[in-house]
Amino acid sequence: MSVRKFSFVLMMLLVFASQFYVSVTIAQVSESEASSVLTSAEGIVDSAYQAVLRAEEAGANVSDLLFQLDDAGELLAKAKVAYRLGDFDEVVRSASLCSDIGENVKNEADELRVETYGLRATSFWLTLAGSLVGVVAVGLGSFWGWRFFKKRYYERVLEMKPEIKSNES
Amino acid sequence: MNLEEYRTVFAAGSLVTMLIVAAPTLGLIVPFPTGMERFSEFWVLGPNHMAEDYPFNVRVNESYSVFVGVGNHMGVSSYYLVYVKFRNQTQPLPNATASEPSPLPPLYEYQAFVADGGTWEAPLTFRILEVSRNDDYMLIDRLSINDVVFVVNSSAVWDSEYKGFYYQLFLELWLYDVTLQSFKFHNRFVGIWLNMTG
Repeated sequence: MSVRKFSFVLMMLLVFASQFYVSVTIAQVSESEASSVLTSAEGIVDSAYQAVLRAEEAGANVSDLLFQLDDAGELLAKAKVAYRLGDFDEVVRSASLCSDIGENVKNEADELRVETYGLRATSFWLTLAGSLVGVVAVGLGSFWGWRFFKKRYYERVLEMKPEIKSNES
Repeated sequence: MNLEEYRTVFAAGSLVTMLIVAAPTLGLIVPFPTGMERFSEFWVLGPNHMAEDYPFNVRVNESYSVFVGVGNHMGVSSYYLVYVKFRNQTQPLPNATASEPSPLPPLYEYQAFVADGGTWEAPLTFRILEVSRNDDYMLIDRLSINDVVFVVNSSAVWDSEYKGFYYQLFLELWLYDVTLQSFKFHNRFVGIWLNMTG
């Protein structure tokens, strides 16, 4: 075998071996990466859901956020099924998309909660002020009304003329 | 009526009016009990969205469809997990008394976020892909759920009483617990019996 032929065969072997080595390495990295991406996605969706619950508790309308979360949940379920089946590429793809949606929902939910808190605080103070003014107005009105009524009552009593009836038949 | 009686009527009327005027604020401060029972609905419907025509006698490489649904009456938006599991007659179902899920591993799963008072529904299409039969013994090697293939290796012996090889595709409902920060079995499950006919 000539040196050129030997070099060519050696090079081909090296190329083949390096591909095999790289693919094995990628597969191993993919598995650990898949696990980590999946765990991270689960955490993000959990915290997004909790943010949505806080926004809902603050009185915000969260129906749009729930629709988005539902998409994230669908992707997360897909990623978890793929993980159990060993399809790590699918895990990374679905879990990454899920994380993106989850992050977005969490941010939107936090903003919505702050916005709703502001609106609710204003509404609360306006309602409280309205009620206080109303109660004071009713209290004062009742007081003056009672005084007026009492005065009229006494006047009516004083205007009454006593009648004397005899007991004679 | 004398003046004292008038005063009582006046005071009572004023107090009632004050309460009416203060009601919007009281409504924001005082939590009024709703008296609603909190629960979740969980169902499987047949291919026509009705509680009928469920797949029962199944054959290899034929597709069957049902619909899975959840109704939320928990008072808040809820995060649900639905596990799809497959068993033969001898493998365990969830234990409703002890609120324990089936120890069988899930094959497929759904995750859904449902607003309070809302419902969620999804199709479940399954197909038995590979079986082996030996007289009164049947082995399902692989099945697909929503086009995802699972190796199940589930065997069943001939049921001489009901004349068939019986399996069950069942679904468990889990609910995300905010305090535990994880899913908890919600003590609800539904399933359909399948008679593997060949």
